[in-house]
Amino acid sequence: MSVGKRLYQYALFFKKTIILALLMLTVSVGAELVGPFIAKKMIDDHILGIEQPWFESDDTKDAVSYDGTFYKRGDYFEEGEGRGQEARIYQMGTRFFFVDEPDAFSGEGERSFDNGKLTFSTQDGDIKFGAQELSGKEVLAFYQPEIPRIIMLVLLYFVLMVVAAIFHFGQGYTLQRSANRIIQKMRTDLFSHIQRLPINYFDKLPAGKVVARITNDTEAIRELYVQVLSQFFYSGVYITGIFVALFILDPKLATICLLLLPILYIWMVIYRKYASKYNHVVRSKVSEINASIYESIQGMTIIQAFRREQKKQQEFEKMNDTHFNYQNKLLSLNSLMSHNLVSILRNITFVTFIWYFGSGAIGSESVVTVGVLYAFVDYITRLFQPVTGIVNQLANLEIALVAGERVFELLDEEGEEVKDSRISRYKGHVEFDRVSFAYKKEDYVLKNLSFEAKPGETIGLVGHTGSGKSSIMNLLFRFYDCQKGEIRIDGKNIKEYPRQTIRDHMGIVLQDPYLFTGTISSNVSLNDSRISRDKVEQALKDVGADRVLKHLEQGLDEPVIEKGGTMSSGQRQLISFARALAFNPSILILDEATSSVDTETESIIQEAMETLKTGRTTFIIAHRLSTIKNADQILVLDRGEIVEKGSHDHLMALRGKYFQMYQLQQGNMQVG
Amino acid sequence: MFDIFYKLGWFFKQHWKRYTIAIVLLLIANIFEVIPPLLVGLAIDDIFQGELTQSILMQYVIILLVIAVVSYAMNYVWQYLLFGGANEIERRLRSMFMGHLLRMTPTFFERNRTGDLMARSTNDLKAISVTAGFGVLTLIDSTAYMLTLLITMGFVVSWKLTLAAIIPLPILAIVMQLLGKKIHNRYTSAQNAFGDLNDRVLESVAGVRVIRAYVQERADEKQFLEGTEDVYQKNVKVAFIDSLFNPLTKILTGISYMIGLGYGSHLVFTQTITLGELVAFNVYLGMLIWPMFAVGELINIMQRGNASMDRVNGTLSYQEEVVDIENPTNASALSAISFSNSGFQYPSSTVRNLSNVNVTLKQGDTLGIVGKTGSGKTTFVKQLLKEYPVGEGEISIGDVSIDQQTKDHVRAWIGYVPQDHVLFSKSVRENILFGSDGATEKDVMDALRMAHFGQDLQMLPEGLETLVGEKGVALSGGQKQRISIARALIKDPAVLILDDSLSAVDAKTEANILDNIRRERSGKTTIITTHRLSAVEHADWVIVLDEGQVVEEGTHDQLLANKKWYFQQYERQQVQESLLGEVRS
Repeated sequence: MSVGKRLYQYALFFKKTIILALLMLTVSVGAELVGPFIAKKMIDDHILGIEQPWFESDDTKDAVSYDGTFYKRGDYFEEGEGRGQEARIYQMGTRFFFVDEPDAFSGEGERSFDNGKLTFSTQDGDIKFGAQELSGKEVLAFYQPEIPRIIMLVLLYFVLMVVAAIFHFGQGYTLQRSANRIIQKMRTDLFSHIQRLPINYFDKLPAGKVVARITNDTEAIRELYVQVLSQFFYSGVYITGIFVALFILDPKLATICLLLLPILYIWMVIYRKYASKYNHVVRSKVSEINASIYESIQGMTIIQAFRREQKKQQEFEKMNDTHFNYQNKLLSLNSLMSHNLVSILRNITFVTFIWYFGSGAIGSESVVTVGVLYAFVDYITRLFQPVTGIVNQLANLEIALVAGERVFELLDEEGEEVKDSRISRYKGHVEFDRVSFAYKKEDYVLKNLSFEAKPGETIGLVGHTGSGKSSIMNLLFRFYDCQKGEIRIDGKNIKEYPRQTIRDHMGIVLQDPYLFTGTISSNVSLNDSRISRDKVEQALKDVGADRVLKHLEQGLDEPVIEKGGTMSSGQRQLISFARALAFNPSILILDEATSSVDTETESIIQEAMETLKTGRTTFIIAHRLSTIKNADQILVLDRGEIVEKGSHDHLMALRGKYFQMYQLQQGNMQVG
Repeated sequence: MFDIFYKLGWFFKQHWKRYTIAIVLLLIANIFEVIPPLLVGLAIDDIFQGELTQSILMQYVIILLVIAVVSYAMNYVWQYLLFGGANEIERRLRSMFMGHLLRMTPTFFERNRTGDLMARSTNDLKAISVTAGFGVLTLIDSTAYMLTLLITMGFVVSWKLTLAAIIPLPILAIVMQLLGKKIHNRYTSAQNAFGDLNDRVLESVAGVRVIRAYVQERADEKQFLEGTEDVYQKNVKVAFIDSLFNPLTKILTGISYMIGLGYGSHLVFTQTITLGELVAFNVYLGMLIWPMFAVGELINIMQRGNASMDRVNGTLSYQEEVVDIENPTNASALSAISFSNSGFQYPSSTVRNLSNVNVTLKQGDTLGIVGKTGSGKTTFVKQLLKEYPVGEGEISIGDVSIDQQTKDHVRAWIGYVPQDHVLFSKSVRENILFGSDGATEKDVMDALRMAHFGQDLQMLPEGLETLVGEKGVALSGGQKQRISIARALIKDPAVLILDDSLSAVDAKTEANILDNIRRERSGKTTIITTHRLSAVEHADWVIVLDEGQVVEEGTHDQLLANKKWYFQQYERQQVQESLLGEVRS
């Protein structure tokens, strides 16, 4: 399914509100587009209406007194009301003339007034009428019946504007609200989905990229729904409305104006083609430039120590120049094809318009009224607003589609449902039974591994990098699943439980302990309601963290920033020990930290490990031999196989690999 | 508010031709904008009064076409020039900014957070660029264009009508301004909520193992939902104001049109204006809306641009901390390095980080520096790199005080491997060649061999061409350290500084690398700071620092005999320090 279609489907979740918004939009556009019609009516019926035939009448409503006689516009006579002699009023520039003759000329041709004679010069020769020029007062008197009507129309116009405004607000707000809801849904979907993804997804992809999909990419899509969609809807409805109005006014000219649509479309396609190419380069250069600045700030010491300032600057200038050049290309394109092109199109439309009406008007009866002309000009000017609006959103559309592609790619990754079933605490009897495991096909990192850990035992795992120590941890936690053999806890295959169920009674302390933003307390309890504050305090005390953290001003509530940045690695270690202790797991895995901590903290950590171990099956991935000397069982791993197994004393007596390692340690001492 | 134009004066002066042509053309183009509606109005009058002839019609059409074409050309030119200026200043400032960063020393980077500097180099530069392009446009449009329109409306049609019809427009500008401020605040708060959400997701992803191990998926989802709800609420608040803009514009311009039509008709009745003029007037009214908005825009852009300019200038005006003296005396050969009564205190520090240090190091010697975290080991080596102004006492290289030598000259002697391994987003090869441009393939391989990276290289998907750093493959700390070491070794420097740069490799590898260095760098000076005492066993001289002072010194054996901190530490490490990691089985 295409990205566009899927984005559309997301929108369908909120289709009711979106349809509501569209209805409001239609009302709003309709009300707005009636405006020029009203103006047309005002001009044709009321301003020019004065040239309609007048008849002598009684002093009734709408009758105007002139020269002692009452006159009334023909179309204002009631049905059956008697009409007197006809008279006409003609306008010439700002001058008005009264012609008191029946069947007067309808008024085409160039007008001139001389010596009480009003002359119409037409192709068939001049036609003259006896006429009196009206004074300002008299003109106003003839317009008097129109004034209340005009006021009514103006008020109607305003009311329609207000209606249009209210509905426009309604649609804008509704549409934006649903757009934000759509994005919220998309974000929560993405987030729940990453909880389902296998852990190797995170091992493959840097955290920053995953985050960008959930937040930045969806933000770009939000722009799509908020800006792009509403603009497209608005433009679509608006353009349709304008054409409806144009067709009502003059179908022929409206048909000519339809030609604009394919022109606009072709232009949009061409513009988009180049703009998206340039935009793409500009955007990628911007991100390269930013990355380069960022990296330079981070590595400034190195750049300076190696005297690479100039070279760095040159590299930077190259990107900066490319960026600049493409920005100028884009600028050139925009100057040629954006607003500028719209305005030339508008001017050409005006030319067509004058040509059309002008040639129609020459030497014959006027095809249209002035009111229609006015309305036409107004509609044509308006026609170009929504078009510019669409063009301005094209770049956003492009960005949103690319972002959408990435979002759906993530959503399409296969995952496994998070389960909520729990079991009561198991004893922690762990058996690995002929377990083989590979991260990549056939490339086994654990080969036919079997061992058993009785409840409460401590198992030490030793071996060099790649020997399979960490894989054992990954399997036990079901971060990964083994391909062959089985792992049992209390006699039951762990694959029979959902992952979450099995992990519920396990604890982990990672080599590089991860702390979350919050407080020390929240990092121990992970805000889990089962872990009370007393429990947190007790746990911290039991691992000896209180000694290390005592100087912190706010104690347990001392804020922890991102990744525990202000804490030393020893402090982080102890907090993560306390976390494991507070959750009281029956199986604990400890990945010993390699980074050097100061000696005082180190001894506290050693003690804490002893505390942690009691009452649970503990696996220690050891980097220092001293840590596991007291373990019930030590597994020496080499290339995915257990080469030696037993207690420290047993392994020493064996005089094998472990013994060798130990000797090497002694050897190291002797070198000193 | 318009200070920004003054602050950017140097740029406008350099580009005065560009701006003069652009502005003149813009002004002419604006006048041309006004003509078509006028012609349409006249044509309507002519049509209506039957005065239109074939030749008059042709005239209209030709004039309109000419105007259309000429203004198209002019619009292109001024747009290209004006916005081209904006692009140009963005490029110039960015280049200046980067150049400035490259001259700055650590104190500067401590005082300015990376995020802040990044914001300056992106958002603030953009804002300045907008000021130099769009800002100038709005300035012209809100003044000259508006005046052109008003004058046309006043002279050609009617002043009375013009004044009456534009009454709502300033109100509109003010309302927009107020709403603009409000939306800005709400938008900022929405952005902050979004930023929080972003941070939260980052933690959830980075801490995914912890979350899964402790079965906190549901809690995490719940927390995330709260975050998105917060973002939603704040965005809806923005949407509320945002949705007000268009309707309010409609109502207020509607009032304008209402006055234009109503009062305009009255003026037709009183024979003040013609119908065609009334039509043209309403077209102008429509054209006035943009310049009115431009006033509001102008204020925003100027304020933003000004604030950004100040921030960027604030950075650019930061003085270089370590300035080379005017007539440097650069030592010609490296004979010895000596610290005499050296003392130093970081600008941000409350205690003395180095005091009264006296050490002399002959050429070819290896100096070991040990001590607790924060005892001054790194401070000591940084003195040699001239990252900070020299403190008390004197430090000399090759018998000339480093005060008297240029930074460039001093650093040319040194190959530096820092504590925190910094690699760039480039290939392994490029990262190593960073140390020396002219190096050959063999040099690269030698450096890698010495840094004990040969085996690791085979594991990398594309060998030497493998991309590392932020965007590349994830390397272990030890691998990064070894590449950093290779980078320094390829320079074959007279002085090699290893600043605790073997902490992430195991003892065996460390011994290996140190052996290589000893063997292949005989006659050259090496300075090693370390936590692991085994690394300095072979040093010619070892100093033990504590709170910035040398508390013990001597050879390894002498220090052991001393039976003080060094001895105790050594004993402890003997027991503990045996990493099995790389033991060959």
